[in-house]
Amino acid sequence: MNRLIHSTALAGAMALVAGLAQAEVTLSVLIDNNPETVAMMEALTAAYTAANPDVTFEIEQRTGGAEGDNIVKTRLATGEMADVFNYNSGSLFQALNPQQTLADMSSLGGQGNVLDSFKQVVTSPDGAVRGVPFGPAMGGGIFYNIPIYQELGLTPPKTWAEFMANNEKIKAAGKVAVIQTYTDTWTSQLFILADYFNVQAEVPNFAADYTANKAKYASTPAAMRGFERLEEVFKAGVLNEDFGAATFDDGMRMVSTGEGAHYPMLTFGIGNVKQNYPDNLNDMGFFAQPGNDAAKNGLTVWMPAAIYVPEASANKEEALKFVDFVATVESCQTMISAAGASGPYLIKGCELPADVPQAVKDMLPYFQTEGMTAPALEFLSPIKGPALEQLTVEVGSGIRPAADAAALYDQDVEKQAKQLGLPNW
Amino acid sequence: MTRRQTWTGIAALAAATLIFIVPFVFIFLMAAKTKQDASRFSFAWPADWQLWQNFVEVIQTRNYMLLLAYFNSTVITVGAVTGLVILAALVGYVLQRRPGRMSNVVYGFILAGLMIPPAVVPTIWVLQGLGLFKTLHGMILIQIAYNLAFSVLLYRSFIGTIPRDLDEAAIIDGAKPLQIFWKVVLPLLKPVTVTNIVVQSLAVFNDFTNPLYYLPGKENVTVQLTLYNFQGQFLSQFNLLFMNILLVTIPPLIVFIFFNRQIVAGMTAGAVKG
Repeated sequence: MNRLIHSTALAGAMALVAGLAQAEVTLSVLIDNNPETVAMMEALTAAYTAANPDVTFEIEQRTGGAEGDNIVKTRLATGEMADVFNYNSGSLFQALNPQQTLADMSSLGGQGNVLDSFKQVVTSPDGAVRGVPFGPAMGGGIFYNIPIYQELGLTPPKTWAEFMANNEKIKAAGKVAVIQTYTDTWTSQLFILADYFNVQAEVPNFAADYTANKAKYASTPAAMRGFERLEEVFKAGVLNEDFGAATFDDGMRMVSTGEGAHYPMLTFGIGNVKQNYPDNLNDMGFFAQPGNDAAKNGLTVWMPAAIYVPEASANKEEALKFVDFVATVESCQTMISAAGASGPYLIKGCELPADVPQAVKDMLPYFQTEGMTAPALEFLSPIKGPALEQLTVEVGSGIRPAADAAALYDQDVEKQAKQLGLPNW
Repeated sequence: MTRRQTWTGIAALAAATLIFIVPFVFIFLMAAKTKQDASRFSFAWPADWQLWQNFVEVIQTRNYMLLLAYFNSTVITVGAVTGLVILAALVGYVLQRRPGRMSNVVYGFILAGLMIPPAVVPTIWVLQGLGLFKTLHGMILIQIAYNLAFSVLLYRSFIGTIPRDLDEAAIIDGAKPLQIFWKVVLPLLKPVTVTNIVVQSLAVFNDFTNPLYYLPGKENVTVQLTLYNFQGQFLSQFNLLFMNILLVTIPPLIVFIFFNRQIVAGMTAGAVKG
């Protein structure tokens, strides 16, 4: 009996000490250096510290792109990852070997608020959800200049034929119809990547067959079409003259100020216009990449990044509590007020403010109708070849025929699939 | 001066201006622009001079990160270059003066150090094992290890130009090996030491990838890493980025202006004999 009292007292004392030790937790956070990401994370951590004064944060930034991938992988491999970090969902998430490196978040209460479409893209092969959404979803499609459309009496096209007819009219009026910016090579891929809604509308099994090495770009006419579109736009002579030397910033400037009519891009570009040309923000509209059939017109969606907790984190419990807090409607509103709404947030019941930019307004109807959106291929299949942007620059500049580029891209993809150890390659 | 010489002089000056001054002027003008103006990337006069505002904003960004970065970079550069000069001079001296099988093996390792690229993850394991990961002194050791081979080569070839007679005279006077090195040889190495200091401090100060991988952590930023504050894939603040570049360029520029003559002298001095 005496011993029992002793041990209870001891346990009590230990709990007290543990409580004291837990009182001061500093969570390290690693995020990419996009100004919107930084603003969102700073607002979220400030809100969390206000509610839980014993938890403080140390935010560290990393670059995006390929160098950012290397940093995240290196730090996970060496066990030096921050307690909380943000990173892409979809195929890049799968490349992190999530089953071993990332903490399981399936049982967090906040997961109930997350849309199922997002959970899919942060679920590891064993079925555990390992992330919560961080930031707005993006659409891939075509920005257009509203004043030019009004001046020429055009309407946003639903089919590719209408789109090309609009282009001809714009060209006849002496304006630049389609903007391409090949200095930033990644911008050249949009006609192909944003066409994925149309691909899956025609070939519903493409992603699965593609991963299993049963379907190829070169042998699937619907998938090939993206390459052909790019070639067609070049051959029609509707591009800006300096397409080879223009940059992404130039492209956003041109489409917002009316130097050009169309710019295929991700809706992420809205933030760029908001910073550089705030007066022209509402001159810019948005529509999904048109396909062959007006009845089957829909938007290809890029899922937002997610935040993750590494399995090896020393402060896993506290970090998961913070993540749980991020997956709430209040946190979602915090993010909107910090970074603005460049797209819908994937939290149930998180409404966007009424004063969103015109391009976002144009994007929202796609999300409100069931079956009008489809995730981009990179969220459905882990395969994305590294040379796509070089090939699309070649096609878009008329150096290489579309069929040739599609075949070469299939070869490029093969190396990556083998590296990932996918079956049947 | 003949007329022809005048013309070639003017042509050379014009070429030098085009290659060296114009980019610098471009950086300066970009650093003085507003965000909107800078995003156009044009070589034009700023519509609205924002030099001071940009300067203050860059300094204050992320809680005065740039000042901390200057401190870290200075510590790493000074520490690494001091270590490099001392170690490389010692190794180069022994290698040059005592040819033999052992020297050849060591020389082979030095060439390997120049040729074989280092692997990141195993290096981090070693650092973690030694408790040096994420520390400034760990970073200094890495910079020494990565740059030692080049410094040794510079020293070795320069020491070849110092006559052995000097060493022998010192031996006859009763000097011990270390005394020969410190009192006789090292003072003669001044030109090549200056070259080493300049070349290596530029390399260490400008290094971007090594601190990126070996020195993570908010407190461990170096100046080159601060450039990431203003450049993202979708949204860049080019005016602040260029202001940051301008500020980061200043320390190496000062080094270059002061040591300009020695750099050239040291380069040619080391190159006389292979």
